[in-house]
Amino acid sequence: MSELLVRNAYVIDPLSGIKGDIMDIAIRDGKIVEEVGRNAEVIDADHCLTLPGGIDSHSHVCGTKVNFGRYMSPEDMRAGRTARKGVMHVTSGYSVPTTFGNSYRYSTMGYTTVLEGAMAPLEARHTHEEFTATPHQDMLANTLFDGNWSIMEAVRDRDVNRAAAVVAWTLSAVKGFAIKLTNPGGTEAWGFGEDVHSIRDQVPHFGVTPGEMIETMIRANEILNLPHSVHLHCNCLGVPGNYQTTLDTIDLVPDLNAKRQSLYLTHLQFHSYGGSTWRDISSKSEDIARAVNNKSQLAIDMGQIMFGRTTTMTADGPMEFKLYMLHHNKWSNHDVELETGSGIIPVYYSRKSLVNCVMWAIGLELALLVKDPWQCMLSTDNPNGAPFVKYPEIIALLMSRRFREREMALLDPRTGHYAPLPAIDRELDWYEIAVMTRAAQAKALGISGIGKGHLAPGAEADVAIYPLKPGLLDPSTDYQQVMAGFGKTRYTIKRGRVVARDGDIIVEGANSTIWTKANVPPEYNLSADPEFVKKFEQYYTVRMSNYPVQDLYLPRGVRITTEAAL
Amino acid sequence: MKIEDVVCPFCGCLCDDLVVEVEGTRVVSVENGCTLASEKFMGDHRLKSPIRRAGKRWEETSYNEAIRETAEILCDADRPLLYGWSGTHGEAQSIGIHLAELLGALVDNTSTVCHGPSIMAIQEVGHPGCTLGQVKNRADVIVYWGTNPIDAHPRHMSRYTTFADGFFLKEAFRDRKVIVVDVRKTESANIADEFVKIQPGGDYAVLSALRAIVMGKRGIIPLSVSGVSREQLFRVAALLLSAKFGAIFFGLGLTMSPGKYKNIRNAIELTEELNRHTKYTISPMRGHWNVYGSNEVFTWISGYPYAVDFARGIAFYNPGETTSVDVLRRKECDACLVVASDPGAHFPKACAEHLAQIPTIQIDPHTNATTHLSRIQIPVAVTGIDAEGTAYRMDGVPIRTRMLFKGNYPSDTEILERLYALVKEAKGL
Amino acid sequence: MRVILQTKPRKNPHIPIEAEAVIPQNFLRKNDIRVYEGNKERKLEEIFYITTEGPAVSPDQVEIVLAGETGTLKRVGEYMNAGRIVVEGDIGMHCGNFMSAGEIIIRGNADAWLGREMRGGMIRCEGNAGHYCAAGYRGEKRGMRGGTVEVMGNSGDFTAEYLCGGEVRIHGDCGDLTGVEMRGGTLIIGGNCHRPCGNMTGGTCMIFGNADAMLPTFRSNGIEEREYEGQRFQMMVFRGDVANRGKGTLLIRKK
Repeated sequence: MSELLVRNAYVIDPLSGIKGDIMDIAIRDGKIVEEVGRNAEVIDADHCLTLPGGIDSHSHVCGTKVNFGRYMSPEDMRAGRTARKGVMHVTSGYSVPTTFGNSYRYSTMGYTTVLEGAMAPLEARHTHEEFTATPHQDMLANTLFDGNWSIMEAVRDRDVNRAAAVVAWTLSAVKGFAIKLTNPGGTEAWGFGEDVHSIRDQVPHFGVTPGEMIETMIRANEILNLPHSVHLHCNCLGVPGNYQTTLDTIDLVPDLNAKRQSLYLTHLQFHSYGGSTWRDISSKSEDIARAVNNKSQLAIDMGQIMFGRTTTMTADGPMEFKLYMLHHNKWSNHDVELETGSGIIPVYYSRKSLVNCVMWAIGLELALLVKDPWQCMLSTDNPNGAPFVKYPEIIALLMSRRFREREMALLDPRTGHYAPLPAIDRELDWYEIAVMTRAAQAKALGISGIGKGHLAPGAEADVAIYPLKPGLLDPSTDYQQVMAGFGKTRYTIKRGRVVARDGDIIVEGANSTIWTKANVPPEYNLSADPEFVKKFEQYYTVRMSNYPVQDLYLPRGVRITTEAAL
Repeated sequence: MKIEDVVCPFCGCLCDDLVVEVEGTRVVSVENGCTLASEKFMGDHRLKSPIRRAGKRWEETSYNEAIRETAEILCDADRPLLYGWSGTHGEAQSIGIHLAELLGALVDNTSTVCHGPSIMAIQEVGHPGCTLGQVKNRADVIVYWGTNPIDAHPRHMSRYTTFADGFFLKEAFRDRKVIVVDVRKTESANIADEFVKIQPGGDYAVLSALRAIVMGKRGIIPLSVSGVSREQLFRVAALLLSAKFGAIFFGLGLTMSPGKYKNIRNAIELTEELNRHTKYTISPMRGHWNVYGSNEVFTWISGYPYAVDFARGIAFYNPGETTSVDVLRRKECDACLVVASDPGAHFPKACAEHLAQIPTIQIDPHTNATTHLSRIQIPVAVTGIDAEGTAYRMDGVPIRTRMLFKGNYPSDTEILERLYALVKEAKGL
Repeated sequence: MRVILQTKPRKNPHIPIEAEAVIPQNFLRKNDIRVYEGNKERKLEEIFYITTEGPAVSPDQVEIVLAGETGTLKRVGEYMNAGRIVVEGDIGMHCGNFMSAGEIIIRGNADAWLGREMRGGMIRCEGNAGHYCAAGYRGEKRGMRGGTVEVMGNSGDFTAEYLCGGEVRIHGDCGDLTGVEMRGGTLIIGGNCHRPCGNMTGGTCMIFGNADAMLPTFRSNGIEEREYEGQRFQMMVFRGDVANRGKGTLLIRKK
């Protein structure tokens, strides 16, 4: 039995309704408890800001395309290297760090749970291998269905139950967590070098539209009672004028779940552009935020960009090729048979580029114009908008109008003409930041029930203690301190153990992987479906028996089991 | 006992549809595999126990003793090299890299003598690729450049390209066009719709010319480029552009001919140019069954796919400087651990000679050319036969190899874990 | 101030010494300079006999003289921003990486990556240079950006790869794929070279010897006169590399 007591903590725990009380947190054997014995180890938090461990609900850190981002970028690898030290392994990389680099840097910032935003089912084993090498965070994998042939056939046949069965079989086979759609239909079209340009376009050869796919999958998701909703990367990412596609998509969303959103729209900054070309691109954050404010069944994350060098990587293969044609830098693409695609290019977001300045403004605007922080989560779509190490700076920008003004002064002076940011006064408070960086994620992902994102007794003892004393700081003016404080915890506690202290990593760690298994009636078990098996053996290049990820790839797997309403 | 869907640990195709019959600790038959696969499964020249050199003779030694001596040699070295890795599973590779960071060693895999140049090219211009099923289901133009799959990857054509029917190509052999480019007419060239014979060393110029033609700059092309007539270049370019989905595969004929990685870069840039007109992918024909896995594991741990130098604590990478062949040729290394590869057979003579000069230890199931350069050899189980673990196919698809029977040998993972523990202890960690 | 570093005999002279700490600015406060021999950290005095003559108040008054078995010293002069380094014999790889000012004189030969990603200053090598002379780093789009590299002898393959700015002068011959990926700056070759300027997008390369195996994707663009070592030559002008929408200029002496 190991016991730990965190004393004198300034706790904000939104899911428990705690909005800034000085209190003690008792921990026994990795869980929060009511109290501990006299011999418990004690940490004096000294009135510092104490939050549940951070949760990133959309980040690219593990798997085939992330690793290819490293593989193709020795220049990025050399930009952030640390030597082996104590229990710390070597790390390399700035925008796409090695797995240990990601893990240590997240840990230093108080993050204890990370969702990988895109896992191709065929290559899931790779993602799980890298999860194991990301030792300080519990991991979850969004599983890609955007170009899945069986799904498109079910959508074409208007058979939502069949779609649900395909999802259930796949999540269980690849130990995935949730449904991810990346440019639905577009990644299949990209198989022959095409794309779709609205939610009403036909996907070549399959006779379905992205809109039909999204609608069907939202319903299939609820049939399966999955913890998270459908996680959508909308069509037309990064295209001027794409806000209309985003609004059209939002129009499709029914309200089907009382506990959480029915659709999660990721990195919405990249989907909120007005104009018709790169010359007249403008912010449509007001229209998008209004739509989100009017529909409580939506949750979004920002997809903030920050200036500097980074690497873009997404399953959205056609979009990356368009970016490549703009930048003429290196380009990688990796289509995955019967399932999805992916692309990678390095980018540099410049303050001298009006387009980049407008993009920067849009992300912040979304966070400031969406009224309910539970509906808008902080993200950079790491590393697409910026590496996650920029989160503290984004928090500071959201908390300080002065900081935003100071930054705006460095940008292309026309930015204010194309984006409403200068007129927005709102400054987020500590509570809202706590919501946007952990509590809302736990709710949106549906993992508060397994003890994530809060500090009530029974919860996982994932705690972040920041060297910030809310009573003594005015974030509006002390934004530099806010930034520094969120960049390096005094203590990061993972499952009851201090894993990082003042930026030093002190424990090797062993994480969990959270995955979902939806139980379906036997007639929906596709392993026994002759049609499904036949097509699998005909068109895949691996045998069906070699496809599922074996349990041993999840040394600490946490399974969430649901019963499908089929 | 017959075991189905067995994964073949021979080449980068990583076929996973073999049927293998096992009796006790012996494979008695292999179905579906190529001849190379059968040899691998049926061959049996295993070393019985660890051996060490005693003067001019070999003597048997225990696993404990062999591992202990290996740990001592590696800890004593100022510039140790840990080489190989492509013939074992990912879990063992992972321990190997952690061992290298602990020792401050150089760690390198067999890419250094095969597709290292492809990796260097990808690092300059990226890699438009895909999984092999994408080719099988869609590709109507296939290019084999500097590679002879019929010899080196015998089932590549039947599983993934020329002879494999796919979703959009119901009669593959009729519906697909095949272009073979090489310096000599190979067996693969015999079944090509278009064979392009290039003068040795002429790949770069031909690729540049094709890029220019695809861009519409036909006027600049001279009558002949490296032995290829202008007419044929125009015809090949037209054929390339006629594809709905084209797939280019290249081999050591391109990576190891003059210009090396710049040839690959040029081929990738041709692929990128073709993507402005239609859909194209390009893929290296990887040799060892898990060489791509070693690149993947190296990358997520160290940031680099091969040739990583931990001498300074941090990971440093610079092919030409940190690649094993170059390091050995300069006689830098003072100890070497070889795992799951045979540098004695594949390295230049000067490198092999240096390996014989320094304490070299080999972890490998079989005696081979490297045995003759080694001081100690530790036999292990063969991954895919009596050990299992993760492998990555040449297109990045991870597949778990199977253990067909439980033999008496420890796996690479077990040996390396014990070695790692000893080194950790010696370092006071 | 003049610092003379004379190498001491070593047990295994093949193991390279990583000596990025050997730059003039570090010798103003002389204590505790470390170098690496393989994976072992060494004090400077373990590797060299050190003699110091005269004072200095700023790095530009510091001259370092390297003597003895210097051919395995790597990264000498890395990030150097002032002063002078004289190598009496050969020098190892990566001499003058990222150098921004000052000068390096090498009396013997230089190994590969001489002046890699150099920003400014001057390097003169009186012998031959290895591969990747005045080039870039793997995956990085820009190689040497400024300054001057002059090699009196020959240089190896990939000379001035990714050259972006500054001037590279090779008085002897160059190897294969000289000036490949060039995008700026000037490359002057007194002797012969092989397959020059593949994929170039910018910059100027002048070859006063022969260019073997010219690539097919350069467009002839008339004749110009250029001067080399006091003599004027008729030069054939090419634009390219057309395979890469190139706007580079390649001049080759007319026979």
